[in-house]
Amino acid sequence: MEYNWQKAHLNLMSQKKKTIDFASSFEELEKITQWFDSEENVDVEVGLKKFERGLELASELKKKLSEVENKVEEIKKKFT
Amino acid sequence: MDTLRTISVSEFLQLVNETLRLIPSQEFVVEGEISDFRIAQDKWISFDLKDENGEAVLKCFMTTWQLRAQIEDGMRVQVRGTPKVYERYGQFKMNVQEVEPVGEGALKRAYELLKKKLEQEGLFDVSRKRSLPRFPKRIGLITSRDAAAYGDFLQILNNRWGGVFVLHMNVHVQGKEAVSDILGAFSYFNELSETERPDVLVLTRGGGGLEDLHAFNDESVARAVFGSKIPVVCGVGHERDESLCDFVADVRASTPSNAAERVVPNREEVRYEIEMMCQHTEERLLDQLSQKSLIVERATNVIGRIISQQNERLKHLRQRFFDVTHVWAPALFDQIDGFEKILRQLDPKRVLARGYGIVTSNGQVLKDVATLEIGASVGVQLAKGSFESYVTKKENN
Repeated sequence: MEYNWQKAHLNLMSQKKKTIDFASSFEELEKITQWFDSEENVDVEVGLKKFERGLELASELKKKLSEVENKVEEIKKKFT
Repeated sequence: MDTLRTISVSEFLQLVNETLRLIPSQEFVVEGEISDFRIAQDKWISFDLKDENGEAVLKCFMTTWQLRAQIEDGMRVQVRGTPKVYERYGQFKMNVQEVEPVGEGALKRAYELLKKKLEQEGLFDVSRKRSLPRFPKRIGLITSRDAAAYGDFLQILNNRWGGVFVLHMNVHVQGKEAVSDILGAFSYFNELSETERPDVLVLTRGGGGLEDLHAFNDESVARAVFGSKIPVVCGVGHERDESLCDFVADVRASTPSNAAERVVPNREEVRYEIEMMCQHTEERLLDQLSQKSLIVERATNVIGRIISQQNERLKHLRQRFFDVTHVWAPALFDQIDGFEKILRQLDPKRVLARGYGIVTSNGQVLKDVATLEIGASVGVQLAKGSFESYVTKKENN
């Protein structure tokens, strides 16, 4: 079966600018993976769509992973 | 005695108490051993403070709200307070403001007593421990900036994970200000609005003896950890060290570095996990695709087989047909020749050719004159041509 990889890639590029929430994106990817496992007979059309979304999420997540910086802010407050 | 002033008992005791107030009692602590420790109505505490030889006794009085450490008979303590004569009973007592166990033995004992009490109250219950979010965005860090724990925690945090916002509350982790600092930090973080509130709090410091860890073993601090709306990770010192906060916290880390490990995941592990998920879904999808194409292939095979089977059968039948032809065909052809001869002889045209005619009336071949009437018209067919005639006479024979 032919799959439009190029289209998937373009979709990726268009969503590049959106900042993502790591936890919810990761959870969505986990759900997609679970879906593939729980479905006895995967509907190929739906499967392809989900797979495409999974690739998209994985790419966003990996990009997030390469963020190295953690920000530290000192709270100015005296208690005593 | 006439020249002397007369005063009442209460006036006298007032005078004594005023004099007692002149003693700079805030400048020293009295150290001794506790005996006859009693609590009345859950509020009033009384005990005797004695020197080791037991010859000097100081009666002490305080309330349960003032008691920060767990004490019991035989424990060596230091007491700070003001002396007073209670008018009603004429008794001299120390009004205690603070009592602290001293020496490793007493501290240990006080620690054990408090631990038991909190445990009985359910502060250590495993069932109430909350799980931490896997990917925290905001971390509230409660520790001293000068402590090694601060650097250790951040170093491991940076090694493992990125994109986290750490709100650091600089507190004393030992000394007199430690307890109020830590309590303040807990209430600060818990009072933040939900959007500003950290996903997890980390209370940490390096190792130390019971005296160094007093703030982490303080009852009010333990209760603050217990009451926190935000899940708490507590990491104190070296592997072996324990504190009451450790037991109350949702997650107990062994060291400040370990606290970082418990709070954020490892970047490489998560990267691997993401890759495995992609690989797995791809495999499942390809698996399904090949299963589907296998079904089509199988169906095609079956249909092909049926068609070729039919073909074979047809070929076979044809072969059989031709194989036996030479046996019966000549006889059949002879028979057909015979039939043809007979048929040829029966052909009416051949009879007509011999001079006979066929008479018809109303399209019917005429075989009996009885059906005819005089004057009726009949058709006569000869070998060559036909004509019409009228019946003039008929005979029945």
